[in-house]
Amino acid sequence: MSRFILWLRKYQGWFGLAGGLCMTVGLYLGLVISPPDYYQGEVVRIMYLHVPLAQTSLLAYATLFISSIWYLWKRDPIIDNAAHAAAGLGVFFTAAALVTGSIWAKPTWNTWWTWDPRLVSFTVLLLILIGYLMLRMFIDEPERQARFAAILAIVGGVDLPIVKFSVEWWRTLHQPLSISPRGVSYSSDMLTPLLIMALGMSLLFAYMLMVRTQLLYLRQLLEAKKGRLLSRVQL
Amino acid sequence: MTGFYLRWAGIAGVALVVAWLAAQHYDREVQTITPEQLLQTRPEGTVRVIGLVQAGSLTLVPQEGSATPPNTTSPSTPSMILAEFELAGPEAHLLVHYDGPADDNLRELKTLVVIGHFTPAGPGGLDRQRFEAHDLDLLPNYGFITAAYLLALVPLALFLFGMERRVALLYTVIKETTAYQPEAER
Repeated sequence: MSRFILWLRKYQGWFGLAGGLCMTVGLYLGLVISPPDYYQGEVVRIMYLHVPLAQTSLLAYATLFISSIWYLWKRDPIIDNAAHAAAGLGVFFTAAALVTGSIWAKPTWNTWWTWDPRLVSFTVLLLILIGYLMLRMFIDEPERQARFAAILAIVGGVDLPIVKFSVEWWRTLHQPLSISPRGVSYSSDMLTPLLIMALGMSLLFAYMLMVRTQLLYLRQLLEAKKGRLLSRVQL
Repeated sequence: MTGFYLRWAGIAGVALVVAWLAAQHYDREVQTITPEQLLQTRPEGTVRVIGLVQAGSLTLVPQEGSATPPNTTSPSTPSMILAEFELAGPEAHLLVHYDGPADDNLRELKTLVVIGHFTPAGPGGLDRQRFEAHDLDLLPNYGFITAAYLLALVPLALFLFGMERRVALLYTVIKETTAYQPEAER
């Protein structure tokens, strides 16, 4: 078995534990300790979940983007496994961020959805990730599958800065960047749970990435052990 | 696999305890009643009543010593105000006497939660029933908050559980599978 996979198996628990602890503390601070917002009231508590989910979905795409470049450079199948895993997790986190954002928008903006640049670019990100997974399903030959998927992920990476800076480049309904070189627009009793939740969600993403990378690798290893794909898997 | 299931049983147990504590917190601190329920049950002690500030009923009286008028008070420097208004529920109206921090959200046709106690006959022999409020809150929208957290965290937990279970099963299967050996050439 690959040394990298054994390393993931050995250390994944620490990431899961740290992520779980951070999220427990963050949820307690966000749901019980932090005060309601002056204008939004209690609905602001959705932010402690929505913002970390959105940040993690961008982190997932950044992981996919970097892994894809790395794969095209090194052609290491385990890096392709990591990219594939990041895309699957990215779909989950992006969809969850859109759903929680929509639930927040209903009592705050009085609508579930609006054609706002941030929302549209974020939905495009979800569609790119779904397209990435579909492309992988439609190509049987593993080497071609990994290569074409990596190219799609790199091209799709153009949406990442659009998502991030859409609130700066266009006039939008969505809030501008809360943490930027201009300063921080949160009070400390709201910023603390938000940062702890964001850290916890990132650690949980790292843990899930480690588990999913192993899952994809082990599937291929099993296939190889059954006599297929021998050339592709590093036994 | 026993350790895996035990770990997830522990996580589910902790989640159930947190959900139970959250439900208790909601019942104790957040749950609201309507003006109709207040007039029917006449509870003693502090309660939270939800309703719409009736149009044309709001009168604001800045307290002595207040530096700024109520409608320009900033969130960071609340001054105290006296106000009277009618809080409308679906079928009943309640006269509210508010004596507390100035709040921009206190305006007509706004749905609010008023926090205080019910005075059945009114102080000083007033014959009209009224509610003595000392604080205001916005619509809690706890349904939205609960929906957001459940819709994100429950699938997250199920997703992770499914992935971890498959990985654990794969390690077991691979351990038991003999490595591929090409057939010897005849």
